[in-house]
Amino acid sequence: MALIGKIVLFIVGAFVFQVALSGFSRKVIARIQKRRGPVFWQNFYDIGKLFFKKTSISHGFIFDFGVWMAFGGTVATLLFVPVGPYSVFPGQTNFIVIIYLLAIGSLGMAMSAVGSANPYASMGISRALTQMFGYDVPFALTVVIMIYVHRTSQVAKLAAVQSDIGWHLWVMPLSALVAFIALMAMLGKKPFDTPIAPAEIASGPLVEYSGKYLGMLMVQHEFATFVEVGLFVNLFLGGGSTLLIYLVKYIIVYLLTVIISALMARFRVEQTVAFFWKWPLVLVFIQALIIIGIGIR
Amino acid sequence: MWEKVKDITRGHSLWMLYYCTGCGAIELPPTMTSRFDMERFGIGPMATPRQADILLVTGYLSTKTLRRVIYTYEQMQSPKWLVGFGSCTLNGGIYHDSYATINQLDQYLPVDLYLAGCMPRPEVIIKGFKQLMEMIKTGEADGWKQYQDNREWYRENQKKALGDLLYTTR
Amino acid sequence: MLQKDFIAKIKQEFGLDPAHIKAVAEKKLAVTVDSGEALSFLIYLKNIDFIQLSLITAVDWIDENRFELVYTLVSWEKNLTVSVSTFIPRDNPVIVSVRHIWPTAKYYEWDINEFFGIIFSGHPEMGNPLFLEGWSEKPPMRKDFDPQAYSYERFPSRKYDYKVENKGRVIE
Repeated sequence: MALIGKIVLFIVGAFVFQVALSGFSRKVIARIQKRRGPVFWQNFYDIGKLFFKKTSISHGFIFDFGVWMAFGGTVATLLFVPVGPYSVFPGQTNFIVIIYLLAIGSLGMAMSAVGSANPYASMGISRALTQMFGYDVPFALTVVIMIYVHRTSQVAKLAAVQSDIGWHLWVMPLSALVAFIALMAMLGKKPFDTPIAPAEIASGPLVEYSGKYLGMLMVQHEFATFVEVGLFVNLFLGGGSTLLIYLVKYIIVYLLTVIISALMARFRVEQTVAFFWKWPLVLVFIQALIIIGIGIR
Repeated sequence: MWEKVKDITRGHSLWMLYYCTGCGAIELPPTMTSRFDMERFGIGPMATPRQADILLVTGYLSTKTLRRVIYTYEQMQSPKWLVGFGSCTLNGGIYHDSYATINQLDQYLPVDLYLAGCMPRPEVIIKGFKQLMEMIKTGEADGWKQYQDNREWYRENQKKALGDLLYTTR
Repeated sequence: MLQKDFIAKIKQEFGLDPAHIKAVAEKKLAVTVDSGEALSFLIYLKNIDFIQLSLITAVDWIDENRFELVYTLVSWEKNLTVSVSTFIPRDNPVIVSVRHIWPTAKYYEWDINEFFGIIFSGHPEMGNPLFLEGWSEKPPMRKDFDPQAYSYERFPSRKYDYKVENKGRVIE
């Protein structure tokens, strides 16, 4: 029973923290644009309103199942990420498992976008998967370098070893930069937000969702944010020896992505893929040569 | 009691469909940007009718647009609200003797709130939205229920204005 | 190009009577032709650099029982605007379409067909609705159509009950 309690506490805590933080980030964006923003618990109102809709329109079994698959896959991924010194399954925070389960979110949305026969949805999903094809390669390469050097692929151990050699942010600066840019693409923030693109293709894959489906997808997006930013904090900023230090680092990284995204316009999807396969890949290869040649010290 | 919590939640986060039907839509960008900020009340623009709560009919409606607005209104999920914006939805406005525009919007669709003016300024829009929020929180705004209950009456009026085109798909 | 040079050029090359050519403004001319030679005049103007068709519109002269069609052409090289007007009878209004010369004429002619009832031969969309879907009355821009009566009958206005305090009167 303690395990079930730990799981529930973890999920509820991640939900409350991330939704409050994304509401706060709306206020940050508003202040950058010289206006007052909504209250920082606005996202709770939004998610609540979506779940309290009285009717909902479904387009068949594939449509429903895709949403459930995306939501369930992301919640399952959440349980493998270490938060500070705690983790739900101690000793089982393998990076390969996390990356594998993280793809289920996008694939679930792709399946249900195919189930609703809207051309905007399929356009948005093809752009999202193309963009994933772009950013996954440099990001995976940065982590493969780390796994090769430290001979382990447990994220908790990669976080703990940084207290000896210093943060990976200082030791491998080029791959930290590449991973930060890949993080912005993973979260779907500008300049990489072609999948959502509200004014261009009418919200892309979200065009047919309404009510409870949209609420579930919003919660899925918040959980996916938690996993991805948590991965970056663990791998490059040394995790956290206490929960408070981890949360502070998380808030700083998230607000940095929000502030940069408030200032930029949107790239096209072929520009995104071309960008990710040009300079970030070159930087990662240079970093790999430095690490293998000189060593980690 | 649970209904009260639901109504308060719905009142604090209204998403409007950014569908500019007529010339009144020119007053929406000033309301959304920095000077008269609309987002601090929780109101935000959304791109598709399936995600939106409020349909804002801004300005005059020709019969060609009225058919599409009826389709859009029926695609939204309940509870949903309709705000008639500008004098042309009230009594025809300056186009009251035109052969192509309709004169009263609430013969064809149930309207919860009217904002008079040609155009109403952003302060009026914000005051109107605050009044709509109060109506939602007390449960008075139930246009969607009236549309479901008196569907034949609305359908008859729509057929009188649009003819038999209401059921074609071209 | 100066206007009088241009008027002389048209008179010499096309043989138009200069009484039908008027200088309306500094860079604008108004030319009146018969409906039989309207098409050849337009083709002639296209060949001497009037490559932009700005507007086609129609005027209903109900007392004289004819329609007037006005084509506005612009030349960027010569820096001149020419509006060519022809008259066609009101009872059976048919004229040839200029869609093959300027492709943008498709929508102008469709619009005039819907609102005036003029038929352009050679145009594929005669009779199809562009703006007025389900319209079964006479074309609405003709002068014998009453839009106010149609509007009050089909779209009922809102009844306000108001009290008259001081009725205005006309002082003779």
